[in-house]
Amino acid sequence: MVVVSGTKLAQEIAASRTEVWRLVQRLRRLGVRIAGRPMTGYQIESAPDLLLPEFLRPALKGTIFGEHIHHYFRIGSTNAAAMQAAADGAPNHPSTRKTRTAEDAAPEGSVYVAEEQTAGRGRSGHGWHSARSAGIYCSVILRPRVAPADVLILSLATGLAVRDAVSEVTGMAADLRWPNDLLLGGRKFCGILIEMNAEATRVRHAVVGVGMNVNQESFPPSLEALATSLRMEDANRRCWSRVELAAALLKSLDREYRRLADPAAREEVRRRFEQHSSSAKGRRVHVEEDGGYEGVTDGLDERGFLKVRTDAGVRTVLSGGVREIG
Amino acid sequence: MNQKELKDLIEFLIEKDIAEFELERGDVKVRIKRANAEANPGPEARYVLAAPAQPAAAAVPASPAAPPQSVAALPTAAPAPPAGEQVEESGVHTIRSPIVGTLYEAPSPGAPPFVKVGDTVSVGQVLCIIEAMKLMNEIESDYAGEIVKRYVNNAQPVEYGQPLFAIRPK
Repeated sequence: MVVVSGTKLAQEIAASRTEVWRLVQRLRRLGVRIAGRPMTGYQIESAPDLLLPEFLRPALKGTIFGEHIHHYFRIGSTNAAAMQAAADGAPNHPSTRKTRTAEDAAPEGSVYVAEEQTAGRGRSGHGWHSARSAGIYCSVILRPRVAPADVLILSLATGLAVRDAVSEVTGMAADLRWPNDLLLGGRKFCGILIEMNAEATRVRHAVVGVGMNVNQESFPPSLEALATSLRMEDANRRCWSRVELAAALLKSLDREYRRLADPAAREEVRRRFEQHSSSAKGRRVHVEEDGGYEGVTDGLDERGFLKVRTDAGVRTVLSGGVREIG
Repeated sequence: MNQKELKDLIEFLIEKDIAEFELERGDVKVRIKRANAEANPGPEARYVLAAPAQPAAAAVPASPAAPPQSVAALPTAAPAPPAGEQVEESGVHTIRSPIVGTLYEAPSPGAPPFVKVGDTVSVGQVLCIIEAMKLMNEIESDYAGEIVKRYVNNAQPVEYGQPLFAIRPK
């Protein structure tokens, strides 16, 4: 790799050499490995696997996700940022003007991706452990022109999209847990949270958020039994390219989303889900909602809801919170 | 607006004996006119669904614009109101659930509820969340006014179209 002198760098960006040194320090803190050679200059040893728009965009041509990618080194929650932007028109973004509508400022296909989340969110107030540059924390804005009830299938389709992306990049076959947790070796490595804002007949916007553990090598003791990462599940403990995974994920999500309005595709989503979920049928589960009850899973109904056979007949699980027992 | 919602709307118009109805929201325009709504007790109705003009650059899964169609036969008996429906007081607006799911009164367990009876709310204010398949749907108020009634308790299942809140405009 090339060695560039501090003086030359300073000239090119019209700054002082002290400023160049300060910027180099900042890049190092972000994970860029830069060697400093006293008499000659700086040399980049390795560029980090950062989810920068410049890296993602070339892979996303032809999808709805290639145009508006917002990258954050550190953020509270990508879902919260995307929901806020979808409603208000990206108040934190310098390009925003008050006169622009939310749809102009945060159009469909806008992507919010972060290296680290300080307030990663899961379902019903659960947090999401989001270590820096180890996982993919990514949310997208969608503005589907279908009735709110017809968006539900997206919950299953997003899980399938993640499964496809992981299989394509790593060759690993993830197991789905209704409605869209992804497991390897019985432990969760990816969670999905979809938030929607809709009127009775029209969806204003929906935000699909994906949190995926990629290169974590361990988890805090409280999560050890529940959580895993792609790296931990690989026999050779390989480090995976997050850029490649994120691009594959957005591409397969684009594919699933385009078919949302097609009833035949909806039926197909249901079928594929049952095929790739070991717990969709014949497993004894505890269901959290409606006061809590137990039963045996019995596949999905035509809308995609999980059916559970109980002593009192078949019940339909509406939300989430299904846990396998004994 | 899908077929089911359209059907519900028509059934509602028949039930309330409303002769003509027009709705324009976003790029969807619906106009329903019932022939002889008063004279003819047999509810013989026609409706025209104006196909929305789709933006040319719609590169996304838009629901296919439904072609204009007419319905010759509609149910003769007024349909039963949706489950959980209560008699509405006049002058009070009802917020209904757009999806099947579980109602949450607060953004997370233990947090204070979004709203409570007696609160004054503005248009666009979040009233509750309905969760279905881990999809969290923020329900916003369509009206400004006072919440005079809440129909569903926290963590209870709700049906499509079920009333959630009654709001008295100010």
